[in-house]
Amino acid sequence: MLLVLSADHRAHLGCLPRAGGAAVGELGRLALEQLRRGAAPRACEAAARKLNIDVDTIQHGVEGLTYLLTESSKLMISEIDFQDSIHVLGFSDELNKSLLQLYLDNRKEIRTILGELAPRLPSYHSLEWRLDVQLASRSLRQQIKPAVTMKLHLNQNEDQTAQVLQTDPATLLHLIQQLEQALGEMKTNHCRRIVRNMK
Amino acid sequence: QRFRFCGDLDCPDWVLAEISTLAKISSVKLKLICAQVLRDLLGEPMEYEKILKLTSDAKLESGDVKATIAVLGFILSSAAKHNVDSESLSSELQQLGLPKEHASGLCRSYEEKQSSLQDSLRACSLRLSQLGLVRWRVDYTLSSSELQEVNEPLVHLTFNVQNRECGRTTAVSMTLSADKFRVLLAELKQAQTLMNTLL
Repeated sequence: MLLVLSADHRAHLGCLPRAGGAAVGELGRLALEQLRRGAAPRACEAAARKLNIDVDTIQHGVEGLTYLLTESSKLMISEIDFQDSIHVLGFSDELNKSLLQLYLDNRKEIRTILGELAPRLPSYHSLEWRLDVQLASRSLRQQIKPAVTMKLHLNQNEDQTAQVLQTDPATLLHLIQQLEQALGEMKTNHCRRIVRNMK
Repeated sequence: QRFRFCGDLDCPDWVLAEISTLAKISSVKLKLICAQVLRDLLGEPMEYEKILKLTSDAKLESGDVKATIAVLGFILSSAAKHNVDSESLSSELQQLGLPKEHASGLCRSYEEKQSSLQDSLRACSLRLSQLGLVRWRVDYTLSSSELQEVNEPLVHLTFNVQNRECGRTTAVSMTLSADKFRVLLAELKQAQTLMNTLL
């Protein structure tokens, strides 16, 4: 599958051959840092001063590289497809090779970062519980009423919420039974077949 | 095989795996590391640099040091949770493969702090809210817009309720007439009598 580079994108990447081989390494490193930690305008200014190119061109070059790397990693395109996609930029063979190397070296890490960007539902963090027995209330003395109080801690995008629930032992047993049935579903032939095919 | 310190369940695989790491440290140093882990479990600050120094002889990597702290924390808190006496703990740890001197050193540290550990665990058990301060004031209403001569006493009550999860205190205020207050007091005294029969 080939990447189609827009005219703007090609213009941004156009600064690379002018910058020279060492600069490409530097810009590649900046692009990866931007992916890991977000934009760093001061690092771009430092690179601009060192390479004697103006800041805007450096910025565009870094952004262009970042986009090229994320799109290629996202689609997991093969070496040949990557080479063909950048061939249209008309760069030298050496530059093409360094770009390919940059892509292959960092593909896995970029995919991990991209994987974390997907939206998430609240997920389980921990469960606190307590077993109580109600012995008396204002309206009725001499009771024996066991109850399980639970606090379910959930995590959603670094947000922690807690839900307090209370149940009697019979409902709790039913809950456990339902959850064990759900776990048991994984062992049926149907699920096993699907899991085998996914691997 | 069932272990009492694991709550009459199987010992977790990761604990079994780390027992061999514990055996690499000398028994004297292990007892000192236990003391630090107990400080952490009791809510006091743990001196991580001391632990690093103590494990440097055994040439443990940083991952192994963290695993050691984790497994000691698990053994000590789980034994306190299930109220296991130190001799049973020692024999169960030896069954898992921990050498005798290491097990007895660990259990001696455990025994010293067992009741404080259990008190600390009891204090952090699930609790939804807690009553802080109770403030009151008795007023005497002389007159109002409805009636010229009222001449009635009035009680203002404020309960400071602490929310355990966010640590915030909410103030719940109310005003009661003399009769209502008498009813409240009588009911609370009945509840207190019931609580005293259980103590």
